[in-house]
Amino acid sequence: MAVWDLSVTVEELGPDAPPLKISVTSDLHIGGAILKIVDKTQIKKDWSDHALWWEQKQQWLLKPAWTLDKCGIHADARLSFTPQHKPLRLGMPNGITLKLRACFSSSVFRTVMGICKLLNIRRPEELSLLRPVEEKKKKKDKDVEGEVYDITCAPLPSGTVLTLANGMPAYFADSPEMEAVYKLLSVSQPAPPPETIVKMYRPMNVVDKAQVNGRWLDSSRSLLQQGVKENDKLFLRFKYYSFHELSPRTDAVRLVQLYEQARWSILLEDIECTEEEMMLFAALQYHIGKVSLTEPQMVVSSPAMDDLDSALQCLEVKMEGGQNNTVDVLDTMTTAPELHDYLKLLRPKKLTLKPYKQYWFKFKETSISYYKSKEESTKEPIQEMNLRGCEVVPDVSVAGQKFCIRLLIPEAEGMNEVYLRCENEQQYSRWMAGCRLASKGKTLADSSYSSEVQNIQSFLAMQRTTPRTDTPQTDESINTHSLVSPRYQKKYKAKQLTPRILEAYQNVAQLSLSDGIQKFLQIWQALPDFGISYFVVRFKGCRKDEVLGIANNRLIRIDLSVSDVVKTWRYNTMRQWNVNWDIKQVAIEFNGNVNIAFSCVTADCKIVHEYIGGYIFMSTRNRDQGDTLNEELFHKLTGGHEAL
Amino acid sequence: MDDIDAMFSDLLGEMDLLTQSLGVDSLPPEAPPTSQKETPPMNFSAGFTDLNAETLHELEDNDLDALMADLVADLSATEQKMAAEREGVKTPHSVPPLAPAALPTPQLQSDLSQPSPSSSSTTSSSSHSSSISPPPPPQSTKPSKEEIEAQIKADKIKLALEKLKEAKVKKLVVKVEMTDGSSKTLMVDERQEVRDVLDNLFEKTHCDCNVNWCLYETNPELQTERGFEDHENLVEPLSAWTRDSENKVLFQEREDKYEVFKNPQNFYLWKKDKKSLMDTKEKDKELLLEENFCGTSIIVPDLEGVLHLKEDGKKSWKPRFFLLRASGMYYVPKGKTKTSRDLVCLVQFDNVNVYYGKEYKQKYKAPTDFCFILKHPQIQKESQYIKYLCCEDAWTLTLWVTGIRIAKYGKLLYDNYKTAQKKASGSSIWTNRNISSQPTPSATPKAKAANGHAPQPPAESLPKVQGNQAQLPPPPPSLLNDSLPPPPPDPELPPPPPMPPMTGKSATMSSSGFPGNFPPPPMDDLPPPPPDDETELPPDFLPPPPPVMGGSGNFGATLPPPPPDPQYSARTSTTDSLPPPPPSPYAAGGVPPPPAPPPPPPPSAPAVRPTPSVKKSAPPPPKRTTPVQSAPSGGDFMSELMSAMQKKRSDQ
Repeated sequence: MAVWDLSVTVEELGPDAPPLKISVTSDLHIGGAILKIVDKTQIKKDWSDHALWWEQKQQWLLKPAWTLDKCGIHADARLSFTPQHKPLRLGMPNGITLKLRACFSSSVFRTVMGICKLLNIRRPEELSLLRPVEEKKKKKDKDVEGEVYDITCAPLPSGTVLTLANGMPAYFADSPEMEAVYKLLSVSQPAPPPETIVKMYRPMNVVDKAQVNGRWLDSSRSLLQQGVKENDKLFLRFKYYSFHELSPRTDAVRLVQLYEQARWSILLEDIECTEEEMMLFAALQYHIGKVSLTEPQMVVSSPAMDDLDSALQCLEVKMEGGQNNTVDVLDTMTTAPELHDYLKLLRPKKLTLKPYKQYWFKFKETSISYYKSKEESTKEPIQEMNLRGCEVVPDVSVAGQKFCIRLLIPEAEGMNEVYLRCENEQQYSRWMAGCRLASKGKTLADSSYSSEVQNIQSFLAMQRTTPRTDTPQTDESINTHSLVSPRYQKKYKAKQLTPRILEAYQNVAQLSLSDGIQKFLQIWQALPDFGISYFVVRFKGCRKDEVLGIANNRLIRIDLSVSDVVKTWRYNTMRQWNVNWDIKQVAIEFNGNVNIAFSCVTADCKIVHEYIGGYIFMSTRNRDQGDTLNEELFHKLTGGHEAL
Repeated sequence: MDDIDAMFSDLLGEMDLLTQSLGVDSLPPEAPPTSQKETPPMNFSAGFTDLNAETLHELEDNDLDALMADLVADLSATEQKMAAEREGVKTPHSVPPLAPAALPTPQLQSDLSQPSPSSSSTTSSSSHSSSISPPPPPQSTKPSKEEIEAQIKADKIKLALEKLKEAKVKKLVVKVEMTDGSSKTLMVDERQEVRDVLDNLFEKTHCDCNVNWCLYETNPELQTERGFEDHENLVEPLSAWTRDSENKVLFQEREDKYEVFKNPQNFYLWKKDKKSLMDTKEKDKELLLEENFCGTSIIVPDLEGVLHLKEDGKKSWKPRFFLLRASGMYYVPKGKTKTSRDLVCLVQFDNVNVYYGKEYKQKYKAPTDFCFILKHPQIQKESQYIKYLCCEDAWTLTLWVTGIRIAKYGKLLYDNYKTAQKKASGSSIWTNRNISSQPTPSATPKAKAANGHAPQPPAESLPKVQGNQAQLPPPPPSLLNDSLPPPPPDPELPPPPPMPPMTGKSATMSSSGFPGNFPPPPMDDLPPPPPDDETELPPDFLPPPPPVMGGSGNFGATLPPPPPDPQYSARTSTTDSLPPPPPSPYAAGGVPPPPAPPPPPPPSAPAVRPTPSVKKSAPPPPKRTTPVQSAPSGGDFMSELMSAMQKKRSDQ
């Protein structure tokens, strides 16, 4: 058999070195060729990660048993011998950029699996990689990028990853730097100043929102095949809005990154919400940010430790109960805490302008009663108001030294509206905390009282710093404007915003970190537009562009002229879908002989195809399956003609 | 015997309390506040709101029975707990003097010292008083007396605390109206959820237990109605009713309660045409439920459309385009589109409930009669804080009301449905047994189930009792039943214990709790029994001849059936107990009954009849069937309870 020369570039020989020539025959298998190459380089190193890449055909030669002939390689082929894992800059949902080694030779689906394993993110099928915006005119994330955290030293995860007690993979404990990176990933980061947010790219309409979906990488092909080079930047994002079994115990990184993605989608108006919802999101962000600083271990504590902890606590309670149960109960029964103070009271009446009047107030259990003066307090109160179920609204301006509590107390005849005016912050926070607890039926004796007082004080402190935002901005203080999207930054001044956020905050202030994050995600997922990925398409037989929305259970058709949903198709009525790869058209058949076909304008039809197939794949996952992933099925559903 | 005695005293206390709580209510206005003042840790005030404002008079026989059974069950449950804790240290079950909160110890004694001269009851009454007197020093040979005393003291404190805890539990006597217009009376404590009450009603009514059964609240003043959700506590919303409220609780089947889970497509795909929705497959329904109720977040139906709104006390109804979101109800302001950021929030659901409005076309000049309102549950009257909304048709109304319920309660609704379903399917096989397997928060309802079934054949109730015991702490199984019959109330019977003026208003709903919380009843206030007015008394209602020992079953048999004429229900129930049927057979245990008392002279009946002066002070009694008998005195209550007790006994 004829012997011919095969030219192979080897990076290790230096950039200017000429390609190696090795003599081969056509029946030599790939493995043999690699052996010859390694011999020829005369470099002693671990070559096990290297593989042959065929430049012209844009394909990897990964089957060592195949002969050159079978691969179709002839003397004109230019091969390069290159590592399969290369460094990649990866933008995370929370805005930080990691440098890590990712697989360039396997399908992107696999690559993402590897990355997620490295970063300790479960359910990698829900994530994928997004190309950055090519042109500089849209410089999304440019400003936020900042530092790149290098974790290329981490070993490539194979088999099971050893994790420490707190759920952190062992290699993150190798150095303080690595540990810091893990903390960045698993703990929510404070929002950047509002000026930065304003500068970031925001989609203005549904067509803008469709643009981003054109940038998803193809899951069935490798990075190198899709033109991604070493050290390029890609974004890791949750792609399918169908989150399987989120659990705070095992999903520290996954939850935080998902939260960050949700948060940014709201801050950048990628998903629309009402003003009330925005205030609640803001309150939750504030709360999560605050709690992250104080109890970062909450999220990453291991189940075993938790169990032990709770068992111990339980035991303690039991023992206490056994010893001095009676005394305790007696104590709490006889010495219920109370608040007493002179406060000012106003009952707003229509058409009259009454001033605030001072009374002696007593707060006990869940009721406030007031008297003419302290001396009169042994007598019957002028009025007693039970605050159970009432609405408590702060009416505060630190700058104006106004500390009012507005109470809407439900009564049979309607709402009893009362304003209480406090002298100062301390007094206000004590009474406010009492009112809040009472409205939920708790008394001052409740254990959450002191933390409630502190919460209110720290929130007020925040307001104290915000008026100075125009001048120097300190890093520690949280700016209320950072918590809302630019639309509301424009609409409200900080001092208007703070009370509104504070109002929403009182409902979430007692949540733990993981509960706060989950609550945020729940509200996000309950938004009507949640989980819809948009594509500009042109339906067969139509002349104008329309938008196709793909969600986890349905497809929607949006008419751009009225910008409203005109039609919904659910997947469970879908019989089949096909892609005509030649004319790039997706055809779908639904029950009852409903057929639709469209071509895609803002994205490759492979992306649309993969989205639909991906959601159907997601719906096949079930609880018993655990963490195993049916990769084959995924490719079957999303792969297209190449996969078959 | 100790236990039994203790139970008596408890029962007495409890009854006393009940009568007082009823009384307090109708006392001149100054009275209630003061009585409440004296018991700082208790929070009874809310419990006094009397609901249906009907006297016990109007309750039917079986109601009383049930009520009594409830009471007894409650007591015995506590009792058993106590007994378990006491472990050998035999402290008489008296009210410990150490109990905090101004426990009027004398109260019980005064009660007991009251006992009738009736000779038949002497035995029991004496045993009573002994149990109530301060604990005798324990007869033990242990060296350190102080230790023992300390121990006793500690025990007493414990006991007192236990009772206090029990007393702190607010209880209401609730009259529930059935579909056929009749009613049942139950005792509901604040820990009970609507689900528990429904189960209880299932037992009492032997209905088919399907998922559509629900408790409905109606408010005639606002012309609203609302089905309580199964997870809600019943006592809380009822406590919001005003004193003169004509609100009612109905026990009804309502299709709309869980319709969304039976046909989710009609709610989640409401935009589709009706025909295609009709033939939605089961599998697709399941999928819809899975998608909307089983994910990490609840998805509310994407309702939108024009509704008419009457707002802020204005009279006119304005059409607006409304949208339902998980976070609240929104509308599109004039000249804006329905993009999220432009929406104006009408209301968020944290503090309001949704109610159907009835006949608003007439009442408020609404465009249609398909209206609903959103209001704080506390609001009972017309107010500017109520949002009135009006829909095009009945189906739209169902859509919105259901949608709002989903937004407000989320997954809870689905969980409720699943529990109801289990119940419904279980009931077909295990008519009664499921009680014990069903998760009930407290032992009380179970005990109630065990005892609350006077009319039921023993065979049926037996398994229940067992189930009940399995959950209750140790006490001898027989105790529960055995201890019921004995005489406690007997001593008091003859002269019905003085009840502070009890007006029609206060009876149906009252709170009960630890006896110590109320000042002793004003015994001396009772006016002399008015002369007989019970001329219509049917002869069957005359007291049966005293049964011979062991013939108690017969006794029960002779009891009058539930009065045929509801109008006179009050009277009949009274008459039952009128002439104190010789209680001794029970009291004395094996002692043969004393000679049968002469058939009670009719005049004794009126003993219970009202004192006109009291009547005046009561607010106008709303809705009553027997307007004449508006102001019964407390004696009635007692004697009614007694009659219930007797029946109970005779059943056993």
